[in-house]
Amino acid sequence: MQVDLQDPWSPLFGRLTLDSIPYDNPIIVGTFLGAATIGLIVVAAVLYYKKLPYLWREWLTTVDHKKIGVMYIILGLVMLFRGFVDGLMMRTQQVMAVGPDSPGVLGAQHGFLPPFHFDQVYSAHGTIMLIFAATPIMAGLGNIIVPLQIGARDMAYPYLNAVSLWLTTAGAALIMLSLFVGEFSNAAWVGLMPLAELPYNPGVGVDYWMWAIQLSSLGTTFNAINIIATIVKMRAPGMTWFRMPVFTWVNLSTSIIGLTAFPVLGVALSLLTADRYLGTDFFTVGHGGNFMLYIDLFWIWGHPEVYFLILPPFGIFSEIVPTFSEKPLFGYLTMVAASFAIAGIGWSVWAHHFFTMGMGPDLNGYFSSATMLVGIPTGVKIFNWLFTMYRGRITFTTPMLWAVMGIFLLLFGGFTGMMLSAPAINYTVHDSVFVIAHFHCMVLVVAVGAFAAVAYWWPKVFGFKLDERNGQFFFWTFTLASIVVFVPMFGLGLEGETRRLDYVFNPQWRPLLIAEEVGIVLYCISVFYFLKMIYVSLRDRVPAGDDAWGTGRTLEWMTHTPVPFYNFAVTPQINALDELAWRRENGLDKVKPQTFVPIHMPSNTAVPVIIGAMAMALGFGMIWRIWWMAGAALLAIVVAVIARSFDKNQGYILTAEEIAKFESKTELASMIAEQPKRTPLDHVEAH
Amino acid sequence: MRFLRHFALCAPLLLLAGCSTVDFALFHPVGRVAEAEYHYTLLLVGVMMIVILPTFLLMVIFPLRYRKSRNATYTPNWSHSTVIEILAWGVPFAITAVLIHYSFVGVYAVNPYNPDALDGSPGSALPPIKVDVITTDWQWFFIYPDQHIATIDDLVVPVGRRVDLRLTSTSVMNGFYIPRVAPMVDAMPGMRTKDSFEVDQPGTFEGFSTDFSGAGFSWMQFSTRVVSQAEFDAWTKTVQANPKTLPYATFTQLAHPTVNFGAKPAYFSAPDPELFNKVVMDAMNGVVYPVPDSLTKSVSSNEGKALVPAPASP
Repeated sequence: MQVDLQDPWSPLFGRLTLDSIPYDNPIIVGTFLGAATIGLIVVAAVLYYKKLPYLWREWLTTVDHKKIGVMYIILGLVMLFRGFVDGLMMRTQQVMAVGPDSPGVLGAQHGFLPPFHFDQVYSAHGTIMLIFAATPIMAGLGNIIVPLQIGARDMAYPYLNAVSLWLTTAGAALIMLSLFVGEFSNAAWVGLMPLAELPYNPGVGVDYWMWAIQLSSLGTTFNAINIIATIVKMRAPGMTWFRMPVFTWVNLSTSIIGLTAFPVLGVALSLLTADRYLGTDFFTVGHGGNFMLYIDLFWIWGHPEVYFLILPPFGIFSEIVPTFSEKPLFGYLTMVAASFAIAGIGWSVWAHHFFTMGMGPDLNGYFSSATMLVGIPTGVKIFNWLFTMYRGRITFTTPMLWAVMGIFLLLFGGFTGMMLSAPAINYTVHDSVFVIAHFHCMVLVVAVGAFAAVAYWWPKVFGFKLDERNGQFFFWTFTLASIVVFVPMFGLGLEGETRRLDYVFNPQWRPLLIAEEVGIVLYCISVFYFLKMIYVSLRDRVPAGDDAWGTGRTLEWMTHTPVPFYNFAVTPQINALDELAWRRENGLDKVKPQTFVPIHMPSNTAVPVIIGAMAMALGFGMIWRIWWMAGAALLAIVVAVIARSFDKNQGYILTAEEIAKFESKTELASMIAEQPKRTPLDHVEAH
Repeated sequence: MRFLRHFALCAPLLLLAGCSTVDFALFHPVGRVAEAEYHYTLLLVGVMMIVILPTFLLMVIFPLRYRKSRNATYTPNWSHSTVIEILAWGVPFAITAVLIHYSFVGVYAVNPYNPDALDGSPGSALPPIKVDVITTDWQWFFIYPDQHIATIDDLVVPVGRRVDLRLTSTSVMNGFYIPRVAPMVDAMPGMRTKDSFEVDQPGTFEGFSTDFSGAGFSWMQFSTRVVSQAEFDAWTKTVQANPKTLPYATFTQLAHPTVNFGAKPAYFSAPDPELFNKVVMDAMNGVVYPVPDSLTKSVSSNEGKALVPAPASP
């Protein structure tokens, strides 16, 4: 069954040997020592302050949608940092390695990264930024905010929610592991075919890439199912479809994309797995295989994935702009319609990723037209945000600054995207860094949306605002850095520079590469201000009110700040779109519930985190072809799932007295507060 | 803080001020196809500007004008206007319709398989120069089936003649691209793609691979020399006289993974007349030129060492 490999294989360790550890590479050893030190400090601190039981009970085994969301975002931010460091290395390598006379250090002929390392770095950068930074952050925001915005107690499937998180984390852990054990893929985040096939990539790099994405895409699919079910079934009484906030609407549209698109990726990766492990010929060149099939499948997932990522920021801007313009959103209905139009058209544009692969002019023309159509609903969204600001009373807090920057980026990214969608232009800049600059504009919309959302909803989750002064420093340095990196990158694209170059063969490109390097240094400064912002906010903890910004419009600002673990003491009755604004107008916003009924809450469970750990072992076993390990891990997952089905724990009841106590002392119910152990029910009456 | 803010807003201007257009290859197209590409770039960007520029202005004006501190008109409940909504959908719709029209015209004009831009060109009266392009890991083979010659990393074509390329690859995908001259088209193993161009002035233009193909990718360049018809004929004769030939067996030797640092050219006479088809068929039948892990790890340390057999000068 097993395909022939170049290197030795043993039943106990598979392909893993001591040589797989790159201990001779100073960069990796340094990174390892740094990561290990930080890890040890964290572990030591947890043990010293005896927080391990707390961590286990309140976080690792939690099914609370808000905690899961926070962990998603922490995971995303950690990976965002890793991806940023990759970007820093790429920029520095390119500016060092210009022209045949450029010197080299650390075993590289030019610059400091030989192609073997540079190619892994650029592949890791893309994979991490899209799948392990942007996706978890957006998933986390959806997790935290959607149930709050529709007045739900939790997600529809709290346990599945935790499984999604830990599967994504398992994928991220595999990518991090590839840094220290073995290697990562050199075939880009898209998995260039047939480059990712065995003859051209016999090492474990592609396997790392494949299994990391496979696990996390499973998690994302589950999360999409969960969000859809939550929105469809768990809305508070009176919350009709067209009273749902736009952020909830975009999470519905984005989750429909997630549910329908991610399985395509799963299939593509499974077929590639068969190619690489069983020697089949799905995507090989010869023996009837067809790598175009992979490219089509990948982008049938890949383009909807782009909209999967960018729709949530659209929802975020649609929440922030009205709040800080002190006006309702302009054109609510068309905003919703535009979100679904984008999601729908997103399905029919995938071939614009390969105009240069010899499709005929009619086919190229069709995909060009379909792509251009996306510009219409996107334009509508921009106009709607603009006319929300029109005749408003705008305050430029950090979330609003981020939102405005996001709209600028969207205009510029959209403009260059329209350029690229015309094959006549695409033939000149396809696979050049012009494309890189374009999609970084778009992905920066996601990053900017994430920063906006974190600043905006932070007080709701933690009870205090992020420090405004350092937040603004972070904003302006980040904005400046983005301009200084990506404007020259557009220029380099027009100079013809192609992407993924380890060695820059044309010395004419040097000046703009130096400009980009200046920009990346500015990004480093913005990272400093980000960390300082978090530190100062944690230190000062200026308490925020329930409606933290004073002009909130939607349901999440009605419950306590920080939000109690049961969300709403009494499920609210919804009367209007923008419920809080409606209550404020009618003088009802200060009214708090006085009588409480018991709440049925889900119990924590260790099964999801065990599944996550075993999924990681399964991935590791498959990557290194340690069959016993993969088999044992798979068996453990199956056993855990079956064992849980016999668990009679049906959650617990939060009594009315307890709720009354929490409502009078809200900090007792906050996210970080420790909850007493509760007696689980072994069955529940239908209710 | 204030300085930072102003600097952030002015940075694009500073960057633009520092550039001249000389380095911008795409602003200096050569030949009808590249000129058509440039024409449609300007045309489409121009049409887009009709909506992009006013939107940009509104994006600057609204946030500044309706700041709370300015006490401008405030309508706390205004959230709908049928006229604006019709415009918000209608204007992008109209602009997109125009763009789609020009995109379709443009895609035919520069269609690499048969560009409309070359209709009626000086070269269209003459038979086209045929060149078969085969990429290996990581070199360019140019086969001239009519002239019975072949080169590595050196594409020589006469001025004012239409050049028709067929492209394929022995191993993985590569992108064929000469920024100022020819549209980007991928060379794919087991498949045949096409590209066409015609250059109306002599010169040397840089070409390279644009689609990542592995560890040697950064060194996959070739030069495109556009020469007069007489020079081309003389060059052809010199290469035809080269004792080094390129039968299929020799080609399969040279197709093994090799980095040609500095793109040093090599020349062959009498290439196998069926070379291109054999490469395509071999790939379809499962012939691969594997890249061992050890080579991927050590590619760049080979720089400076002669990996390629020393080329015979024509």
